[in-house]
Amino acid sequence: MNTSPVQARDVAKHFGRTKALDGCSFTLPEGSVTGLVGPNGAGKSTLLSLIAGLARPTAGEITVHGTAVRGRMHPDVSLLTQKRPLYDQFTVRELMRAGAAMNDRWSAERADEVLDLLAGVAKDAKVRTLSAGARTQVAIALALGRLPKVLLLDEPLSDLDPLARDETLRIVMTEVAERGTTVLLSSHLLTDLGDVCDHLLLLDEGRVQVSGEIDDVLAEHHVVVGPAGLELDVDGVVDSSRTSRQTTALVRGTVPPGWETTHPDLEALVMGYLRASRTRRLARTQ
Amino acid sequence: MTWIVWRQQRPVFITLVAGLVVSVAVILMWRAGMAGDLRAGNLEACVEKIFDGCGGKAADEFQDVWFDRLHAAQGTVLAAPALIGVFVGAPLFAREYEQGTHALAFTQSVSRTRWMAAKFAVAALPALVVVLVYQFVVHSWLDVAGDLGPLATGPFYFTTFDAQGVSPVAYTLFAYTLGMVAGALFKRTLVAMTLTLGLFIAARIALSGVREFMITPTRVLSDDLDGRSPVERGPLVVESGFLDARGAVVADPTPMMNCAGRNDAQGITDFEVCYRENGLAQRFTDVIPVEQATTLHLLEASVFAGFAVLFVLGTVWAVRRQV
Repeated sequence: MNTSPVQARDVAKHFGRTKALDGCSFTLPEGSVTGLVGPNGAGKSTLLSLIAGLARPTAGEITVHGTAVRGRMHPDVSLLTQKRPLYDQFTVRELMRAGAAMNDRWSAERADEVLDLLAGVAKDAKVRTLSAGARTQVAIALALGRLPKVLLLDEPLSDLDPLARDETLRIVMTEVAERGTTVLLSSHLLTDLGDVCDHLLLLDEGRVQVSGEIDDVLAEHHVVVGPAGLELDVDGVVDSSRTSRQTTALVRGTVPPGWETTHPDLEALVMGYLRASRTRRLARTQ
Repeated sequence: MTWIVWRQQRPVFITLVAGLVVSVAVILMWRAGMAGDLRAGNLEACVEKIFDGCGGKAADEFQDVWFDRLHAAQGTVLAAPALIGVFVGAPLFAREYEQGTHALAFTQSVSRTRWMAAKFAVAALPALVVVLVYQFVVHSWLDVAGDLGPLATGPFYFTTFDAQGVSPVAYTLFAYTLGMVAGALFKRTLVAMTLTLGLFIAARIALSGVREFMITPTRVLSDDLDGRSPVERGPLVVESGFLDARGAVVADPTPMMNCAGRNDAQGITDFEVCYRENGLAQRFTDVIPVEQATTLHLLEASVFAGFAVLFVLGTVWAVRRQV
């Protein structure tokens, strides 16, 4: 029996004719921190809400620690949604009370611990008066108070200033270090991802393009540079660009001899895939 | 869960209670003033039953001052359900969707059904109590005026009927659940509010037209063909007309038309004779008697409650399929 924290088998989610996700399969290892990347509309938020149980997949199955997720919140999963919805008219203390009331398993100590981290959040402040950083901290406290084994974070770093971004990531990393929580976080901020993630899940047009440990993924890819006239004749070309003097390409797998190759960094790799996605989309609309 | 909804709805409760306190204070003040006017005009006996001595100047003055106010008070009882529907029912789910806070509840372990049930009950209960208390207070004021006020027209007069018995609570439940389902379906507070108001008014008008067909009426007969209707003010008249010698309803208007054009030398028609010549034997009036007002209230309320159940089911369906 498979007991990995999160496993997806041929998961699809269709909204009418649009296929938000199609044939997605992947496994997240225990205690891993996985960066979920992809262009806008790739299906990242949909995937996270399926794992959380907010929506049911059209086809396929998602299991969390071996039990199937079926249309309701899995007790071991916490999801921080992109908009970070909180009851604005509540005080922080009241919101934590609400968290306790809405969950069967709840640790007020854990939630308070998260609130006290960094500069600390004033518990009597109204939620609506909080800064974006403090608001995220409150939302994370609410998510971690559930004592999740799997933490899903949808764009946890958007609208945060660099300091708040750094601090938010520190909270998440502390959680992983202390409790061995498995984390799946989506973000557009590639440099930040590189610091915290050990795994990568790259989605495009509802399909998994790349999935695996970042080191392995980077080792598998090559950035090749050659003179403009030379044709690159292999299957694994992800993306290529030409100037009048040279051809640069991102290649997956082996590269024929005669090319100058390096391994990409995470940012270059993801950028290559994003660019390729856009090129494909443009080609289709023309 | 109850505490959360209570905390979320707190501003609504405060508004409801403040509104109730202010209006009850005004009504009690007026009620005391009106009772004083009754004593001063020596009209206290007329409240029970209008008799010949009640038509004087004092009664006219009393009615000039108070009748419209009493009517207006009944009007506010009619408006209360719409206000609850628009301001309590419609935003209940629509505001959660607009602010995205439904996702907060959905991402905790509480089930959607429990979340809905808590929201429904905790928001509805105070609203229903407020309507009931307000109806009771307004009615206690109307009772003081008795037959000198709007109650003289009987329990079926539309402002009286709709503001009495179980009707206001039934309308409130209907409007509240209508607002709720509109909010759950359309997810926009303003859209839900507008729809609730429009549909509630339409439904009330439509259903008040069919109300009289919910009870089999009692037939009152009279041999006096030319007189006034044998029915006094009070019962609800459903239908009236003439019967022929065999007791069947005369549907054909020819006899009446024949008589309308036949004047004698003085230019006056003796309708009594003319009608009998044309085969009319008795005059009938189908009424719903005053004693059946409560039954009619309950029947109509059950129709509104039935719709309310449908709206609740619609809400459950809409919220469960929400991503």
